[in-house]
Amino acid sequence: MNLKVNIAGVEFKNPIITASGTFGFGKEYSQFYPLSALGGICTKGLTLNPKLGNPPPRIAETRSGIINSVGLQNPGIDHYLAEDDVRLAKEDVVVIANVAGACLEDYIAMGEKINESKAQMVELNISCPNVKAGGMAFGILPESVERVTRAVKDVCKKPVITKLSPNVSCIADNARAAEAGGADGISLINTLSAMAINYKTRRPILYNNHGGLSGACVKPVALKMVWDCFNAVKIPIIGMGGVQSYTDVLEFMICGARAVQVGTYNFTEPMGAYNIVKDLEEYVKAQDMDVNDLVGSLIVNG
Amino acid sequence: MSIRETSCTVLSNKAVADGIFEMELSTDRVDDILGGQFVNIKLPTSDTLLRRPFCLCDFDERRKSFTICYAVVGKGTETLSHVKTGEVLKATLPLGNGWDPRGKYSKIMLVGGGMGSAVLPAVARRSEGVDCVCYLGFADKSKAVLEDRLRSLCSEVVVATDNGSYGRKGFVTDVAKEDIIKSGVEAVFCCGPEVMYKALKRALADVDIPVYISLEQRMGCGIGACLVCNCMIERDGKQGYYRVCKDGPVFKLSEVVL
Repeated sequence: MNLKVNIAGVEFKNPIITASGTFGFGKEYSQFYPLSALGGICTKGLTLNPKLGNPPPRIAETRSGIINSVGLQNPGIDHYLAEDDVRLAKEDVVVIANVAGACLEDYIAMGEKINESKAQMVELNISCPNVKAGGMAFGILPESVERVTRAVKDVCKKPVITKLSPNVSCIADNARAAEAGGADGISLINTLSAMAINYKTRRPILYNNHGGLSGACVKPVALKMVWDCFNAVKIPIIGMGGVQSYTDVLEFMICGARAVQVGTYNFTEPMGAYNIVKDLEEYVKAQDMDVNDLVGSLIVNG
Repeated sequence: MSIRETSCTVLSNKAVADGIFEMELSTDRVDDILGGQFVNIKLPTSDTLLRRPFCLCDFDERRKSFTICYAVVGKGTETLSHVKTGEVLKATLPLGNGWDPRGKYSKIMLVGGGMGSAVLPAVARRSEGVDCVCYLGFADKSKAVLEDRLRSLCSEVVVATDNGSYGRKGFVTDVAKEDIIKSGVEAVFCCGPEVMYKALKRALADVDIPVYISLEQRMGCGIGACLVCNCMIERDGKQGYYRVCKDGPVFKLSEVVL
């Protein structure tokens, strides 16, 4: 049996990675289980300068899902490098630094900064609005996905994973654009653009009016998109969206994911990601299988 | 003191006032509980993903249990109100910073507004050696809860209702503010709606008594990782967002930007 997976030359002891924004920098969850049990940790989204984020409320609950609008609150890359980066490097777990920017120059500067980090990989959050392009998110148009990926690849010595937004006309086109820009891998899906309202006050629940939907309810959408991307590119895929169990992990891998991120489930179950690793391990052992054999093994009809 | 994921058996779950319930749950964490802390409870349904945070209303060291007091206001509390004795709920506790007046003050005042009063019994119980006086405010008699519980823990309990249907008539902050100065309390702990905190801030602007309040916000993880339950705090002349679940829920009133 084998649980190890390899993405762009980086070995993960198992395919379970905690998703950006749902796990902080690991500190809080290390009270519940050793972080070394995980395959990887994706950090909270980092920006060049500290970011205050949106006023509250930042979260709304929907049927089997949540909508958030944190607005990238983070202490900034320099603070991360001085504190959390050092602490995380002592843990026996792959660290992926998630970075975001408001313009292309921000991403380039972040790509350079990450070279100083002990993180093994970089994940590009391209769902942020490009302030120099009228606020349209970097991740919408394929040409801008390619441009931002290439800009970071040109300066960053670490493997670059481009995280794709599902709020696009054709995610496979954007996967191809990331690959053309030199991405070492893609991860998907980021949250789905969404809204929750209070019919009594006729107001949105979130201060920001809208936010990103995640949780169990998005899994079927995510599975389809992972499958579409798997058929479009050769670079490895990290799948995510509503993962709550080891069977969800198996489904994502069958659709083409080399590894899987666990996000919202960390809120519901503080032990969630850890339990998924244990359950997956038990299953793989019982089946005496190599998890890599699952990747893209979907048998389609017709 | 560490937080932990536990399984808690429901020892009782009963209505104590109009739409208000008290639930007692078993726990092995009683010794770690401070007043002002909270518990994040997983509901026995798959409809709602998020756990529900409730303040630790009271605890019983002998019975190894804690109590939450909640009003049925939405889907989550509705589900909770139907939970039966003997059911087991997953819960993470104790969460948040809490407040410990022991060794710091000899006399304190506890002020509760509506369901905010639910925080006070645990605060009073963890105030061994401290004289507690308590002021409770409710909309009307049908919503008045926890008075008896607090009488057994405080040297004095004053109840006010907005419409005068029970106790003194008027807002509890108006009733309490005169006595805060007269009664020689050294600190105030208050929990209620934001409007109460604003009133208290105005009323005590010239009084040099520390006032601690417990904040509430929609939460995600409850342990400080997701950053959704932010509140604006001013410390050392600098404003910034803090986490209600981890840096709070108890803050000094003078620091909270209302």
